[in-house]
Amino acid sequence: MKLSTKKRPLYGLIAEFDNPDDLLAAAHRAHAEGYRRMDAFTPLPVEGLAEAVGFVSTRLPLVVLIGGLCGCIGGFLLQYYPNVMDYPLNIGGKPLDSWPAFIPVTFELTILGAALFAVFGMLAMNGLPTPYHPVFNAPRFELASRNRFFLCIKARDPRFDLEKTRQFMTGLKAREVSEVEV
Amino acid sequence: MEKSPNQITEDLLRPLLRTSPKYYFAVALLAAVVVVAFAAFGYQAYSGLGVSGLRRPVFWGFYITNFVFWIGISHAGTLISAILRLANATWRRPVTRCAEVITVFALSIGAMFPVIHLGRPWLAFWLIPYPSERQIWPNFRSPLVWDFFAINTYLIGSVAFLTLPILPDWALVRDKASGWRKRVYGFLSLGWRGTPRQWSRLESAMHIMAIVIIPVAVSVHTIVSWDFAMAPVPMWHSTIFGPYFVAGAIFSGIAALILAMACLRKFLHLEDYLKPLHFDNLGKLLLMMSLLWFYFVFAERLTTWYGNEPSEMAVFWTTQQGAYAPLFWTMVFCNFLLPFPILAIKRLRTITGTVIASTAVVAGMWLERFLIIVPSLSHKFLPYNWGTYRPTWVEITIMVGTFAGMALLYALFAKAVPIISIWELKLGLHEKSEVRSQETEGRGKLAFGGQEKLET
Amino acid sequence: MNGSDALQTDVSRLEKPALIVGLLALVISVGGGLHSPVQFFRSYLRGYVFWLGVALGCAAVLMLHHLVGGRWGFVIRRLLESGTRTLLVMAAFTVPFLLGLRFLYAWADPVRAHAETAIEDKALYLNVPFFIGRTIVYFAAWMLLAHFLNKWSLEQDRTANPALTRRLQNLSGPGLVIYGLTVTFASVDWVMSLEPSWFSTIYGMIFMVTQALSAMSLVIVITLLLSKTEPLREMVTPPALNDLGNLLLTFTMLWAYLSFSQFLLIWSGNLPDEITWYTARATGGWAWIAVLLIVFHFAVPFLLLLSRFVKRRIRLLSAVAAGLVVMSLLDMFWLLAPAYDRAGPRFHWLDWTAVIGMGGVWFWRFIAQLKRAALVPLHDPRMARGAGHHG
Repeated sequence: MKLSTKKRPLYGLIAEFDNPDDLLAAAHRAHAEGYRRMDAFTPLPVEGLAEAVGFVSTRLPLVVLIGGLCGCIGGFLLQYYPNVMDYPLNIGGKPLDSWPAFIPVTFELTILGAALFAVFGMLAMNGLPTPYHPVFNAPRFELASRNRFFLCIKARDPRFDLEKTRQFMTGLKAREVSEVEV
Repeated sequence: MEKSPNQITEDLLRPLLRTSPKYYFAVALLAAVVVVAFAAFGYQAYSGLGVSGLRRPVFWGFYITNFVFWIGISHAGTLISAILRLANATWRRPVTRCAEVITVFALSIGAMFPVIHLGRPWLAFWLIPYPSERQIWPNFRSPLVWDFFAINTYLIGSVAFLTLPILPDWALVRDKASGWRKRVYGFLSLGWRGTPRQWSRLESAMHIMAIVIIPVAVSVHTIVSWDFAMAPVPMWHSTIFGPYFVAGAIFSGIAALILAMACLRKFLHLEDYLKPLHFDNLGKLLLMMSLLWFYFVFAERLTTWYGNEPSEMAVFWTTQQGAYAPLFWTMVFCNFLLPFPILAIKRLRTITGTVIASTAVVAGMWLERFLIIVPSLSHKFLPYNWGTYRPTWVEITIMVGTFAGMALLYALFAKAVPIISIWELKLGLHEKSEVRSQETEGRGKLAFGGQEKLET
Repeated sequence: MNGSDALQTDVSRLEKPALIVGLLALVISVGGGLHSPVQFFRSYLRGYVFWLGVALGCAAVLMLHHLVGGRWGFVIRRLLESGTRTLLVMAAFTVPFLLGLRFLYAWADPVRAHAETAIEDKALYLNVPFFIGRTIVYFAAWMLLAHFLNKWSLEQDRTANPALTRRLQNLSGPGLVIYGLTVTFASVDWVMSLEPSWFSTIYGMIFMVTQALSAMSLVIVITLLLSKTEPLREMVTPPALNDLGNLLLTFTMLWAYLSFSQFLLIWSGNLPDEITWYTARATGGWAWIAVLLIVFHFAVPFLLLLSRFVKRRIRLLSAVAAGLVVMSLLDMFWLLAPAYDRAGPRFHWLDWTAVIGMGGVWFWRFIAQLKRAALVPLHDPRMARGAGHHG
């Protein structure tokens, strides 16, 4: 096991915890210790964990707003251009620019734009789909979606030192600390 | 009794990993009915719409009734789930996903009906606005085009609303299953890892979707109602139709949700998850909607009577005491007189009680759609133009086929996806234990895992 | 805690001035009425429908709160309850209104009632005795509801009996249905029948939302004035304000949805019977009022209320609410006045005195009722649970 890790570069050290509170405490301690490049893996959202690993707030609402505006303007033009400019046709004696009748579709496309930007914005910002990720190599990582809580300190962290970091992490009420290869 | 997180995982993944012969039998039976319905549609497409009962003056019959009915049923899911999410009702957790699934499937089925109803169904794509060799565009002043946009927006939004919170559950199946299942669910879960950033963005996206999907749901049925209300046909051209249809849709939607939950509870043995409490709460909602439905029917009929237009009064009286009166009073019985006492009396609001009330409501709401469409068309302005409508076997077969199709899709879905959101259930347990441990100073914490042996 | 101690604020000092200003304005109105009775009754109806709408809106929001709970309701419940108590004053104001029917409604005028067939067709419903009978029934129903809503709530303050919450809940479900039915009838009677040949089935709902919206807005403004007062100060938290703002946003969106539904269907139908209602209200000078309503009754408050920044700050939220109170008043004017003044808006001075007069007396009654009890409900079992949630 150890021999093989020497050959491939190290991604980081990963520690396994029994419950969200231990993980949260560990993340806070690691942050206090000066570690910045770390990540956690949990089967359910843990309140306060995002802040603990240094994530301030999501910019998703802004993305959604932009999507909604695109949908709104695009939706109105989609109707205005054909019915007023490209193929003006008197239908039912209504004016060419029948703006009251254009409101429903404009509304729908506003929402559609917002919804699509919300979904794909979420996926893109989260880097999904991720076909390969080093943490999946970690032993027992399949429990991260079930009932265990993992904290990973990455090798890229300037304060990362294999031995010292391992010692630090072992002292954090972790069940197990293991190495993760890239 | 409260379940532990591990038991939840075991119980809810069981249907995905093990299948009984009875399941195959049921699926085969439902699939057979669907195939027959497709054959009937093929026959109609080959011979023309003449094989249906649509004749002058009634050109909208069973197909459009079913269209409105299924779109109405689709308001069970996304809308109710979004409202419960935003209201942060804690009891919602086991209910939301089985509700959202109804939306996706009922909407797909409903959207098929206008196409079935077309004389040349292969030209349905003409609704899509794009610069084409035909050189003309859809008429954006027509509510039928609005329908196209509204229903597709709602469908896309609902699929997203359903799928987003499934990602973590698919990741769970990926990590638990083996063989081909591991590969498939590994692909579906897109490499979900459950980092705080991912959770934070997922929850943010869900919150935003819940907010935007509510106006869409309302707009969809409003626009469906405008298919009628924009036409100057007696008793159709009514300004209240939008909210009236929306209220009716939520009404029938809740009833459908109760029926679906009762089936899931029985067939998938989810007695510990879908509890009497959920039926009781949904029963209360159904009661509220029943009262609201009553208000709408009353307000609509009263104002029509007050308006006193001769052509409208002809339709008014034929439903009130004429040829359609038996159907009308059956509808009032099914939607109000029967469910009201069952749902209002706490002792009767049991699982059986709510199921009986819901069955009546689903039937009653189908009748309501029929009674909105057919009497008006058969009593348009000039009496020489009055007529009747009688469905043929083709229409009835296709209609039965859609009910079987709904059950089939639901059964297949429950096999591929945990029908109750596992992570949200665990989150609920976790939050509850947090509150409890605050009260008891640290005792009573939730034990995650621990003894579970590793399966590989 | 004694209710009168809790109200040592600007609000309680307004009690007497409100009454004096109100009565003074009403006296001036009556004086003007002797000169031109027709204008007097038209102006009177505008003020009457608005203030009655606020009182009824309070009852509707109150019942909604009893039905669904939520922390927002505990902040404003006493204000809503006092709002429903003003129904007594409004009942008194009904008497002059009933005396002036024939100045207001074509169907109540013996000469015109037989001249138009549209009116004769509806004579079965639109006639003076039946109209007065219905009005008495509405008020009986409303005041009975208001009576029990107040009685049980105050009883709970004294006895701390948790069963009363359940009883209020059981009253509110059917109560809302009764509210819906009576307001639908009342809106047909008092406003829609101003133009007897026109009808719209959604009208009652638009009225209900307008009432709820104006009541909510007014109550939020009053919450700002009271937010320094002790028991309320702790309750007016950003999460509670956020809920109130969301409710206001919902009502604003509902108003727009219902109004647009009515407009689009009538605009696209373009039938002579119906479209006249909009040609009266969306052409000439009235078009400006219509645009004003779209922008400031919907677009601007909608965008402002989307933002959590606005919703969580009491001053900003009440500024939006104050704007909405003014716009509700304008909305009422836009619904009622074009029935007579087709050419364009004409603000008669009697319009102002009627609104101010009735409003002054309304406020006097409101403040007097508010002083009777503690500013927040004391023993609602749901309140403790609701408070624990946001912590």
